[in-house]
Amino acid sequence: MADTLKNPKDTPNPGRRRFLTAATTVVGAAVAGTMAVAMIESLEPTAAEAASASTSVNLEPIEPGMQVTVPWQKKPAIVVNRTPAMLATLAEAEQKNLLKDPQCDVPQQPPYCRNRFRARKPEWLVMVRICTHLCCIPHYRPKRASVAPWWLGGFYCPCHGSMYDLSGRVIKGSPAPHNMAVPEYVFSPDGKAVTITTMYKKAHLC
Amino acid sequence: MSRFGDWLNERFPAREMMREHMTEYYAPKNFNIFYYTGSLLLLMIFLQLISGFLLMAHYVPTSQGAFDSVQGIMYDTRWGWLIRYMHVDGVSLIFILLYLHIGRGMLYGSYRKPRELLWIIGYLIYIMMMGEAFFGYVLPFGNLSYWAGQVITSIIHAVPFVGPGLTTLARGGPGVGSATLQRFLALHAVLWFLIIAALIVMHVLALHQVGSNNPDGIEIKQHKGPDGHPVDGIPFHPYYTVKDIFGVGVWLIIFAAIIFYAPTMHGVFLERTTFFRANPMVALPDVTPPWYLAPYYAMLRAIPNKYFGIALMGLAISLPFFLPWLDRNPVRSARYRPVYRMMIIIMAITFFTLAWVGEQPPLPKYFIIERLGAVIYVGFYLLLPIISSIEPTRKVPERVQS
Amino acid sequence: MTRKTWVSATAGILAWFAAGCAVAAPQFSFSKTTVLAGARLFAEHCSACHSVGSLRYNRLAALGMSKADIEKEIMLPNGANYLKGMEPAMDVADATKWFGIPPPNLSHMVRARGQKWIYAYLTSFYWDPARPSGWNNHVFPNAAMPDILAPWGGTYASDGKLLQPGLESPAVYHQQVAEIVDFLRYASDPSIFERHTIGPYVLGALVLLTLFAYLLKREYWKDVYNRGNGKQARGPKQG
Repeated sequence: MADTLKNPKDTPNPGRRRFLTAATTVVGAAVAGTMAVAMIESLEPTAAEAASASTSVNLEPIEPGMQVTVPWQKKPAIVVNRTPAMLATLAEAEQKNLLKDPQCDVPQQPPYCRNRFRARKPEWLVMVRICTHLCCIPHYRPKRASVAPWWLGGFYCPCHGSMYDLSGRVIKGSPAPHNMAVPEYVFSPDGKAVTITTMYKKAHLC
Repeated sequence: MSRFGDWLNERFPAREMMREHMTEYYAPKNFNIFYYTGSLLLLMIFLQLISGFLLMAHYVPTSQGAFDSVQGIMYDTRWGWLIRYMHVDGVSLIFILLYLHIGRGMLYGSYRKPRELLWIIGYLIYIMMMGEAFFGYVLPFGNLSYWAGQVITSIIHAVPFVGPGLTTLARGGPGVGSATLQRFLALHAVLWFLIIAALIVMHVLALHQVGSNNPDGIEIKQHKGPDGHPVDGIPFHPYYTVKDIFGVGVWLIIFAAIIFYAPTMHGVFLERTTFFRANPMVALPDVTPPWYLAPYYAMLRAIPNKYFGIALMGLAISLPFFLPWLDRNPVRSARYRPVYRMMIIIMAITFFTLAWVGEQPPLPKYFIIERLGAVIYVGFYLLLPIISSIEPTRKVPERVQS
Repeated sequence: MTRKTWVSATAGILAWFAAGCAVAAPQFSFSKTTVLAGARLFAEHCSACHSVGSLRYNRLAALGMSKADIEKEIMLPNGANYLKGMEPAMDVADATKWFGIPPPNLSHMVRARGQKWIYAYLTSFYWDPARPSGWNNHVFPNAAMPDILAPWGGTYASDGKLLQPGLESPAVYHQQVAEIVDFLRYASDPSIFERHTIGPYVLGALVLLTLFAYLLKREYWKDVYNRGNGKQARGPKQG
């Protein structure tokens, strides 16, 4: 403090005062802002979440016509082994003009699944079984006429009656707007397992 | 001011509060370096709140998950290391500031009339802080945390009549486990913190009621200018706000240097044994408290009897409450009381020697230091009424010395 | 309190601070290179039994090792996950049966014991036929771990006599042990490189803030000194 007394006649300088106030405020705000960004980033998913984000499913025990549900990123992911008869119903549904989006124009699946089967390999359906209407979990109803007399087989949502075919394509007259979402997945080199990696970015669940 | 300002101030006393506590709160102009500690403590406690909130967002309060969740913060969370080091090193820095703040109060007689209640509230904050630090200490559930939890809850056990019941209540079971962690987390983050926050508000209100003391220990209100303000006082805002911002800058440089270059401070701020997982089967070679609680621990060990040791520790912690009535000299500041000044210096040296010896293993060669330290510590308070009424004093100036 | 007291106290604190920052012994030339070299040696010799559970394999990518190299040189063939913590090759239950205690997770060992201790421990094994494993240790008596590095470092008797020379020269061997310790130091403190990279910028910004704040304080306090002098001039009249 003694050093500031060297020039006791120093007169206050309002311009300098304003400049230094602004400079201190700007640097202080920059420090606080950087800190705040780091603090918020700390709430992002951790490396532990990233490590447990993908799920592998062994395909060998899944018999033809059988559905397996696995928890994947806190959501019910399914793997269905579709028989040739079941695959035939997909074309039938298109012919009878039952579907809202038969060509899968809405990107509810990765580009490599934009086909009738909505799959990398026709027999294996990998999908998130969440109704696009209000997030209920539809039931798997593969048998003909099990829901309605005209039913070809598919998924039926108990909450508000949304209906989907065996590729998860939504049937006309359902409250659900879109086909059910297909996540990104890869088959193991030997084809005996499938790994569901991430959600397809453009798809929305409900 | 602006129309919005008028609208606001009709409904909320923002301007009035600003005037009362900042622009028209007159503080003595001769504050020295010790007077940065108050604003720095406020800053540090605010930072503990922020970092604590973010730690809690990742913490799992179970005996199985606590250690891994804390290590997850260190390894897997973005900036997790920064947040945890802020919180951990922040504790030690807060206690450094607390000791400087309390030491300043003793040095300049800031506990004397009319500031007795200010002193008592402040000392209560310090005691609450010790509890807050202890609860936080147990949460990461390293082996040191586990044994610290065991030892402290068994100290409660020695309290007459209610002790055993209180110990079970503190642990929530036969030993320190998930139930203990959950209640300690609740205490640490909610109840204890809210009490401390309330006490801090009371501390500041009490300070602004009686006015700040200063290194000369003179009442600045006794010399008022024609405008009714103390001639040796300056408005807190802008003079002390700009000064405190400078202090904050220097302090943050120290804080950042520790976080970035010595986050464990060589095992003083973050002890080595906290890096072993809690293990009820493996006791530590010696359970010592963190440095800021070690003086009391040294006094606990100074008497080789559980109950008398704990009684001495309790006495040591509670004696400062009576300081305003133990000091009987009309002069406040140690600047004008050479004997009292010497006593304070001896007391400070004793306190930090006790802190050092409390960290040492319980070997006979240290007992003599522990006992001597305990005698000096208690002796300071017991002799103060006598010495302060007969000690020689220097002439106190009329006005503060700048 | 004189200015001199403060200066010397500050200098003392800074000296203590600096002493601890300096890395312990001259053989610890701690860098990303030595950490990766140590990781390779660790994978080769230590990770048969020891996990480094807190450190994920992909962490090493941030130090400059490619994913392919990590998978080939560090990860073991038993299904280790690139995104998960480093696991031992050996089954923990088997290891417990063989050594009496499970080989510890070494993630935090350097923080817990200190790098000097680990280094001294690894280089202080001696041949002791009385022990079930045939090995004992000067630093950690009756340690359960055998000296698995003896083929490289040589076998010593308890009095320090060389019983059988190792494949490596002592200089190379000690360098390699130091690299393993460097890796473990990184494993116990994985933020170290990040901290040391960001640190100067953080301190620089805070120094700038402090500088502006100091100038601002001086500018405002001109009022106080001017007023104070004026009051002092009137002082004698009041007295």
